Amino acid sequence: MISDRMEKPLASWRGKERYGNEVLECLTIIVRSGGCSYGACRMCSYRHERFHTTSCEDLLLHLKAQLAWIMNQYDPAEYRMVKIFTSGSFFDPVEVPMAFHADVATAFHGKLLIVETRPEYIDEETLRSFIRLLDDGSWKTPLYCAIGLETSNDAIREKCINKGFTFADFEDAAGRAHAAGAGVKAYFLFKPLFLSEAEAVNDMRTTIADTVPLAELFSMNPCTVQRNTELEFYWKRGAYRPPYLWSVLTLLYESPVHMTCDPLGGGQARGPHNCGKCDYELVRGIRDYSLSADRELIGALLETRCSCKEEWEYILCHEQPWCMPLTR
Amino acid sequence: MTRFNIRKRDGLARTGTFEPDITPGIKLPAATDTGVLFPSLAHAFNTNIPLPAPKSLIALYPPAIGEQPVSIHPQRENTAVSGDCVMVAGWHTAFANPRNFVEWLIQLKEKTPVDTAWYAPAAALPATVAILCYSGFDLFDYKAVDLRSAQGIFCTPTGEFPKDALESGICTCPGCLANDLKEHNRHALRQEIALVARYIEQGQLRELVESRCRMVADQVAILRHLDRQYLVLEQANPVGRAGIMRANSAESMQRAEVRRFAERLLSRYLPPKNADVAVLLPCSARKPYSLSQSHRRFQLAVGGRAHELIVTSPLGLVPRELETVYPAMHYDVPVTGYWDAEECAYIADIMTRYFRRHPYRRIIAHLEGGALKVAQMAAAACGITLEYSCTEHPTGTAELNALDAALAGERKVKDDRLHGMISYQFGADVDTRGVTLRGHYPEIYYSKGKAQIFSIDTTTGLLRPTFDGWAMIPEGYRVHIDDFIPEGDVLIPGVTRADPEIRDGDEVLVVGSKAMATGKAALPATDMARSRRGVAVRVRKIKKL
Repeated sequence: MISDRMEKPLASWRGKERYGNEVLECLTIIVRSGGCSYGACRMCSYRHERFHTTSCEDLLLHLKAQLAWIMNQYDPAEYRMVKIFTSGSFFDPVEVPMAFHADVATAFHGKLLIVETRPEYIDEETLRSFIRLLDDGSWKTPLYCAIGLETSNDAIREKCINKGFTFADFEDAAGRAHAAGAGVKAYFLFKPLFLSEAEAVNDMRTTIADTVPLAELFSMNPCTVQRNTELEFYWKRGAYRPPYLWSVLTLLYESPVHMTCDPLGGGQARGPHNCGKCDYELVRGIRDYSLSADRELIGALLETRCSCKEEWEYILCHEQPWCMPLTR
Repeated sequence: MTRFNIRKRDGLARTGTFEPDITPGIKLPAATDTGVLFPSLAHAFNTNIPLPAPKSLIALYPPAIGEQPVSIHPQRENTAVSGDCVMVAGWHTAFANPRNFVEWLIQLKEKTPVDTAWYAPAAALPATVAILCYSGFDLFDYKAVDLRSAQGIFCTPTGEFPKDALESGICTCPGCLANDLKEHNRHALRQEIALVARYIEQGQLRELVESRCRMVADQVAILRHLDRQYLVLEQANPVGRAGIMRANSAESMQRAEVRRFAERLLSRYLPPKNADVAVLLPCSARKPYSLSQSHRRFQLAVGGRAHELIVTSPLGLVPRELETVYPAMHYDVPVTGYWDAEECAYIADIMTRYFRRHPYRRIIAHLEGGALKVAQMAAAACGITLEYSCTEHPTGTAELNALDAALAGERKVKDDRLHGMISYQFGADVDTRGVTLRGHYPEIYYSKGKAQIFSIDTTTGLLRPTFDGWAMIPEGYRVHIDDFIPEGDVLIPGVTRADPEIRDGDEVLVVGSKAMATGKAALPATDMARSRRGVAVRVRKIKKL
């Protein structure tokens, strides 16, 4: 049911997305919701983007209006995949009223849907009824739950991210999603606060290995410094540096599974960056790789010559938790 | 158990030997591969706590790595004990904000035992190690210089250059000769540390730092912020030094020892009792002033009929009796005849406070230039009228005659150098009647009856009391010890309490139930309480009771 009122979501755009061996036309929507109920992650600024309303009805009206805007703006015939981010959890009933789930599933009937959620909101029954409305038989797995696992290491997830769930919680949630016929997309956070470059790279290696059996799709987010976050507080005081693009390339190259990666703020001080000279080419290459999965491209980029490579190699070997970051 | 034996202190800086458990002792300050020294540093996974982190985070994730080094943090209770090596993780990031650098440093220094070796990881470069040592760090690594090598940067104590400087002749160390940047950078660091150690031994690190910091604004800012921590810096600096105190920069005026001289002048010093006429005189390059040609002439003209006060930068005002006292006998300044506004304001303020505290019936200014200007500023500020025996050429014959004439009919002021010096050094008002002196100035010995009571230490210009001398000083500057008879120097564990006014180099009286001793404090009283090992008092004479 489409609302009469139309309201622009926080952001939306059309793009392409790799799925299996295909490249799909994709619609990405960032919905303004009631806001993440958790909202305590050290690097997250999305918690500021929410409706400050207490009434569920009111919130529902806002959500319906955004969906109406989307349906009016984009021709459903032009995309096959839809990614919905809420800056929180789509399946959290406080953030996104249950009534809206049905609207979304109906509106995108027949599409491949990826929705963001924390593991605690993955409920088998909710997912089943959602899929019933969404599925038209086009897709083997019409719904994926995108979970920001960030890392498989509980100590790091707790101290460096303050994420508030464990790897076991993720495993259980993945089990529930699979039982309901949904897939799981795992999001990794590369180099959260308090980790040295080498610690962060090793953390990703372990995380990828630990998560491969539990999910079907993988995406790695190199950490970016967002405004008004705890991370920004440390970054401003020289106590945090986003990861090197060399490290990002290394991880993509080594990964046993294809990982998509969109280096937000790539090449800038707040985002993953190298020295400033080689960044542009590398960021572009990483974006291309997300679509093409062309491992050789990454290999070639890793062979690029730049004077900052020796610095990065030094950082990997010599930056320690008690003397970091060594560079800015 | 590790140990840190401090050999020489200079402000917050030290030289000494750190004795770790396994490897042989190393002389500090030094750069070394700390991974070898402290194997536990390799097992520090997920222990990062940035310097700006709040207490709450540290409570949840205390940065415990191994036994040594002990990780200390501005927001954490002290966990180090004497003899430990302490590490301030991430100290290299502190340079980014000079205010935080100093704030954190002071917080850490105040709560950590003094006889601990201080490790600043990844912070030492040839251009930073002087101010790091000045801030009280002793142990460094090669991380920062090796990083510069990886980045192709050539390091010198005064700046960094692209690596083609290797062949420019700037340096001809073995690294440069072999075209080996890494070796050059490490060599440059070791060489600068050796230089810093030398300056510490000579008690002149301040001068080196005032010079070295010039190329980086943040370092100048650190120096200035540190000077504003007067209470800490004043405690850390000795009361006297040998050799020249070079007051060559604008920051010299803010140096704790310079400020301490003014503070003590204004709080402790007592002018001669019957002095109601003061003559303001210019300073001289030669120290003590009275050995200079000009002052011989001034003194001849004054003829003892006035209290002589020397107007000088950066000390402000030096009464004749204090002219040998550190740093009055020791300072050297660039003389241009031009006194800048800040200098004038600072000195005029000292003079204003002095004249409010000690009113004179007549004040005769025998000055010119900047000194005359500050005297006029001070007179205006405290509403007194100056008389002028000259306004230029104070050493001219006519001017000296005018000074003589101005003092015609005035009574002689008692020359009581000892009274003035005791008031400044010990804060006591002593009756010096019956005291005689002998010796050749400034090597003077004071006696009362047959007993010698004081002599002047010609290196620091401070008084050295004998037991009879101490008998004249009713209180203060006592170090109390347990009931033992010291054999040689008094060690820190033997001290039960000490007058908090005591500073490094102060003359002290050791008081115990079994013995008394005269000697010189080797460290400030607060540090005696915050250290476990080492000499507290270098004893000169012991008297069994």
